[in-house]
Amino acid sequence: MSEINLSVKIGKAKFKNPVTVASGTFGHAEKYYDLEEVKKLGAITPKTVTLPAQEGNPPVRIVETPSGMLNAIGIENPGADGFIEQKLPGFQKIGVPLIISVLGHSDKEFQTIARKFTDAGGFAALELNLSCPNVGHKSLVAQDPKATYRIVKMVKKIADVPVIAKLAPNVTDITVIARAAEDAGADGLSLINTFTGMVIDVEKQKSVLGNFTGGLSGPAIRPLAVNLVYQTAQKVRIPIIAMGGIATAQDALQFILAGATMVAVGTMNFVNPRAPLDVLHGIEDYMKRHKIKTIKSLRGKVKR
Amino acid sequence: MAKLQNIFKVASNEKLCPKFYRLCIDAKPLKGKIKPGQFVHIRTNSGYEPFFRRPFSVYRDKRYIEVFYEAVGPGTTIMSQMKKGDDIDVLGPVGTPFDLPDKNIKQVVMIAGGIGIAPFMVLSDVLKKRKLEMIVLYGGRTRGHVYPMKEFKENGCKVHVATDDGSVGTHGRVSELFDKINLDPETTMVYTCGPTPMMAAVQKFARKHKLKGQAACEEIMACALGACLGCSIRTTNGFKTVCYDGPVFDLQEIIFD
Repeated sequence: MSEINLSVKIGKAKFKNPVTVASGTFGHAEKYYDLEEVKKLGAITPKTVTLPAQEGNPPVRIVETPSGMLNAIGIENPGADGFIEQKLPGFQKIGVPLIISVLGHSDKEFQTIARKFTDAGGFAALELNLSCPNVGHKSLVAQDPKATYRIVKMVKKIADVPVIAKLAPNVTDITVIARAAEDAGADGLSLINTFTGMVIDVEKQKSVLGNFTGGLSGPAIRPLAVNLVYQTAQKVRIPIIAMGGIATAQDALQFILAGATMVAVGTMNFVNPRAPLDVLHGIEDYMKRHKIKTIKSLRGKVKR
Repeated sequence: MAKLQNIFKVASNEKLCPKFYRLCIDAKPLKGKIKPGQFVHIRTNSGYEPFFRRPFSVYRDKRYIEVFYEAVGPGTTIMSQMKKGDDIDVLGPVGTPFDLPDKNIKQVVMIAGGIGIAPFMVLSDVLKKRKLEMIVLYGGRTRGHVYPMKEFKENGCKVHVATDDGSVGTHGRVSELFDKINLDPETTMVYTCGPTPMMAAVQKFARKHKLKGQAACEEIMACALGACLGCSIRTTNGFKTVCYDGPVFDLQEIIFD
């Protein structure tokens, strides 16, 4: 056990292992989880925080789909001040490095929220959610290389921790956006956010979700995500945090072999709250079985 | 602290009436820990179809943890085929329970429609030790949807039934039974669980007569832990999650569409 080295780095931030949870999928740890178990995770990524509080989208907010779900929550959250005051201390108490996910509705908001969190401190990295499909913008920051570049560059000037850009799969060529983020100084990329999707209730002849469209996640999107991580890893040097339907260690290892540095369990937290720890233990077992000493040596090693 | 997520064994799974089933789960770590109104979140299969877990009010917390369900969709259909000795993946108990009645309450009225009767069995199990009058007003679509009320009667509840087709009890909606309620706001407490139109009717009635009340809500749910915020409903205090802030809410707090 002790000879296995699972540690990874994103910029200057160090994590004892590559397993984290995707934003918006993990909550109320203090009430429900065995904290001794949660402490084994490499990092925790709380739900995206916006500058002012947001009440989220009207119901219906979720619908089950084949091997996955469509959601349009609309980033219901207490806002930066509320989060820093009410939630951040609880997350910090767990003792696992935090990746704070933030979203601004304008350049100015991204700037202000980055400043607020930098002043608050006490976390390992800042993830910029450039890709939420459910907040009513006509296009996403992560659909425009120039906007991606501009916002990453701006936040990099403010933040004193590594900055990670979370990108959207709803683009023609994700590698163009990924390179824009890298050129702007991003320390890492989170790939991928949800695919925009729609489910129609044929009896009512209307969309099931209150927001009309939503984001598709879960095992249904995993092969799409593995490909996007692979394609991106060919074009950038910065580390990738991969997410997209990870349920088991086998799933996570696919992403690592495709070039990911870290892996995040997202939607599967809702179905199997033990999934992140199952993934971690399964990666350890795999490394023992294959006599692999460091997780780094697996990264991007998929054969053609 | 009991573990949140456990693999237990099915102790029995029986059809109680044409539409409803009772699943008994051998869940020793949870025994005696259920507060009325709380629920368990059950994974019906080890794959991804259907994808979500399914939430069920705990029906009884006795020798086994019991859930009472109707086989209506893909998840409950799989559940209806479970057999004694099968593994079952159970999350919970979770959720905010009913407030038990204050000392001055003399009459407890449980108003349920269809499968919404489930949380009231465990509530009556808890309340039967107190000197209260317990009344159950129960509405179902047809004879096949009327749960045998024997166990409620054994707990000392007075039971009144209405069916949409008149095949059992009063012909009509459960609201036809509201005249059974003693209208003293100081001594009466109303609990309700069932279809939205029924709970909306109970809310209106309780508001008119200034009766205190609570409602147990149901929504499509993903996590059941207050994480995904997918099951939010409108309340007078903004969106609230059914799984974490609820499923039990003050009756007048809910905004029924």
